[in-house]
Amino acid sequence: MSKLSLQNAILTYEQLETTPSKKDNIPEELEDELRRLGCDFIQSAGIVLRLPQVAMATAQVLFQRFFYVASLKKFSVRDIGMGALFLASKVSESPCKIRDLINVYNYLIRRYRNEPNEPLEYLGQVFYEMKDALVIAEMQILKKLGFNVHVQLPYGLMVNYLKVLELTDHETIPQKAWGYLNDSLRTNVYVCYQPATIACAVIWLAARIAQVKLPTSPPWWELFEAELEDMENISRHIMRLYAIRLPSNLPLSLDELEDYLKNYEDRRKSGINEINEINDNKDDLGPAPMVTM
Amino acid sequence: MENQGYSPVECIDDNNLEKNNTPEVQLTETPKTKTKKSKWESESDNDSESEQRFSKKRRKKIQDSEVDEHSQPETTESIRRLKVSNEDPFNQSPSTRSISPIAEPINDMSISSTPSPTPESTTQSFEERIIKSTPTPLPPMLTGCRSVDNYEKLNRIEEGAYGVVFRARDKATGEVVALKKLKLDKEKNGFPITSLREVHTLLLAKHPNIVNVREIVVGETLTQIFIVMDFIEHDLKSLMEDMQVPFLQSEVKTIMLQLLSAVAMLHDNWIIHRDLKTSNLLLNNRGQIKVADFGLARKYGSPLGPMTELVVTLWYRAPELLLGTKKYSTAVDMWSVGCIFGELVNKEPLLPGRTEIDQLTKIFKLLGMPNEKIWPGFSKLPHAKNIPFIKQSHNTLRSRFPYLTENGFDLIAKLLTYDPSKRITAEEALKHPYFTESPLPKDPEMFPTWPSKGGGERRKSYTSPSAPNVAHGVEKLDEEDQTLLGSIFENQGGNDYGFRLKI
Ligand SMILES: Nc1ncnc2c1ncn2[C@@H]1O[C@H](COP(=O)(O)OP(=O)(O)OP(=O)(O)O)[C@@H](O)[C@H]1O
Ligand SMILES: [Mg+2]
Repeated sequence: MSKLSLQNAILTYEQLETTPSKKDNIPEELEDELRRLGCDFIQSAGIVLRLPQVAMATAQVLFQRFFYVASLKKFSVRDIGMGALFLASKVSESPCKIRDLINVYNYLIRRYRNEPNEPLEYLGQVFYEMKDALVIAEMQILKKLGFNVHVQLPYGLMVNYLKVLELTDHETIPQKAWGYLNDSLRTNVYVCYQPATIACAVIWLAARIAQVKLPTSPPWWELFEAELEDMENISRHIMRLYAIRLPSNLPLSLDELEDYLKNYEDRRKSGINEINEINDNKDDLGPAPMVTM
Repeated sequence: MENQGYSPVECIDDNNLEKNNTPEVQLTETPKTKTKKSKWESESDNDSESEQRFSKKRRKKIQDSEVDEHSQPETTESIRRLKVSNEDPFNQSPSTRSISPIAEPINDMSISSTPSPTPESTTQSFEERIIKSTPTPLPPMLTGCRSVDNYEKLNRIEEGAYGVVFRARDKATGEVVALKKLKLDKEKNGFPITSLREVHTLLLAKHPNIVNVREIVVGETLTQIFIVMDFIEHDLKSLMEDMQVPFLQSEVKTIMLQLLSAVAMLHDNWIIHRDLKTSNLLLNNRGQIKVADFGLARKYGSPLGPMTELVVTLWYRAPELLLGTKKYSTAVDMWSVGCIFGELVNKEPLLPGRTEIDQLTKIFKLLGMPNEKIWPGFSKLPHAKNIPFIKQSHNTLRSRFPYLTENGFDLIAKLLTYDPSKRITAEEALKHPYFTESPLPKDPEMFPTWPSKGGGERRKSYTSPSAPNVAHGVEKLDEEDQTLLGSIFENQGGNDYGFRLKI
């Protein structure tokens, strides 16, 4: 049995259902939100750092994978996010500087908290703490993922599929599908499906929204070995993102998480953190169950 | 909320994404202090133990689900598989992937022995016989690194410049493996990008003549990382030091064919090894060559961007590198292959320079002084003005190899060609008539066996220089580090005689 591979690791049903955070009594909704928040930070930080999208995409997949083998109680969204982006920048041969990464995270955290931007004192105590945390996080990711850190991404596949389907020049579909790919990084689809299926799903979804009919006899996706059921499921996960707003006070560090959990029930009761059930039936997509297997 | 900041037009495929970025990675690298200290760690790692339990429980399940939905019972030879995966996804033949959810279970037998179905030629049939196939890897489980405690230390094989290599036994299976400990102690920039490349290339480069990596294991602390490889009995350097007589021509051919096959596959996948030398070529007791030590390997983009010039151990370093070119290519590996060829034939290093100038002098004495005519662009290379002028106009290569046939000589001359663009490629070299003339390459199974030094007593350390350690650092990360860099050459472009080494 090979332990190392260039292929994407795919989770088992059991791994998906009983995440380490769940075992640590972190509510499912909160885990979902924290995963999304962590990915948001990675994407934004990458943009500020002018990293290529392949680095941000890789980092988000690493981040998602990581929290299927480790608990949010033990590793913070901030640290693993920084570590994942740092590692991914190297994996994608566009290494960023530790110092820049820390400054950007500091800036993004302040912005998220609506605090005035205040640059970190270079080589100050906070800087050093963050640097240590980052380096440790990077090693933890490597270690906990067994060095399987080379992520196959669906971007190239998707562009090729668009070509085959003669959709490259369509007004909205390529843009939309590309956007869905970026957004789907914040869901768990990259740990559930192989890149080809994800590429098909975003095209399927974009075409539906644009009300463009694609060949169905035989169904076009069969050419790329995707299944309708999988595409539907991926689409649900993506649409769900747009239906749920992320609260603005989520915990980024372990200490913050502890406090947050103390008040979690109160918060829910008072409705601050109420999760709206997805309600976008314009596409006949019901609420997303976990992956069907 | 939708993220539309990235347009498909900007980026055509993932490969291009990578390649577009490659040229921006200016490889200025940080010198790293060498430390000789090394320690075998034997305390257990609680963390990864619990992960182990977790993963064992899952293993059966994962295997099942892989076969069900994600198995790709590839029966094509690994070389072909790699070629396919780097091309347009549409070239991926649907027949190699499972369409039905109930794919045939993966059959080890069918995977392990398929010859490459390329057009027939006599060379090919030798290749087929000489280059044995390896099993195809399955997708990984999402599971952490195991602890090094799963292995029992047997003995230290060799201390390389950057890592220590141990012989060890897998406690569960009894198999003997090699563990290479990565040196991470002094890393300022987290996990070294060179080690990431080493692991990545080894994974990408699954080939019967490239050493097989089994897994990465960790020691007690976060900085103890080991690459677990199949144990290979010999390296060519130590082996030749101990042999009474040189390899036979038939053996040289077999070794060269295997080496060229591995190098051809690497180059085909845009990977340059950058440190080919006899101590990085392993030979097992079944006559199989395994290329090792991908510590300097990297993918290169198209068009070729600037890369660090401080690569390849001195004796095997191509003249364009010695002359400071920033744009080099797979041809640097072919020069090294030429030096290795010469060393195999004569059982002594072909160009054992002591310094870079000495290295150039030795090359010039062997091959004659290069000029614009035989090597266009030569005089414009960064260090071309600072080099010693050797009054040596003609090539003396023939006299170094009195017993080599005309074909053999033709091959080494083509490998040791000054102009990198005219230097023979690995693909071409595989088809060279040298390999089809008598004596024919020896069947690897018929190779003699030698006592394995790594498998027994400690090896004595050898004198061949190591790859420049500058290249092992992390590249271009903190500008504070940049000040430590600078050229190893003083007085660049100044007075003609001012070519001097700092180190
Ligand atoms: N899989 C293996 N089986 C047996 N011996 C091995 C194996 N891998 C490496 N060795 C031995 O260890 C030596 C050093 O390994 P390697 O070249 O990978 O390390 P290194 O630190 O990069 O060395 P250097 O920089 O000096 O080339 C090899 O020359 C070989 O003798
Ligand atoms: Mg070596």
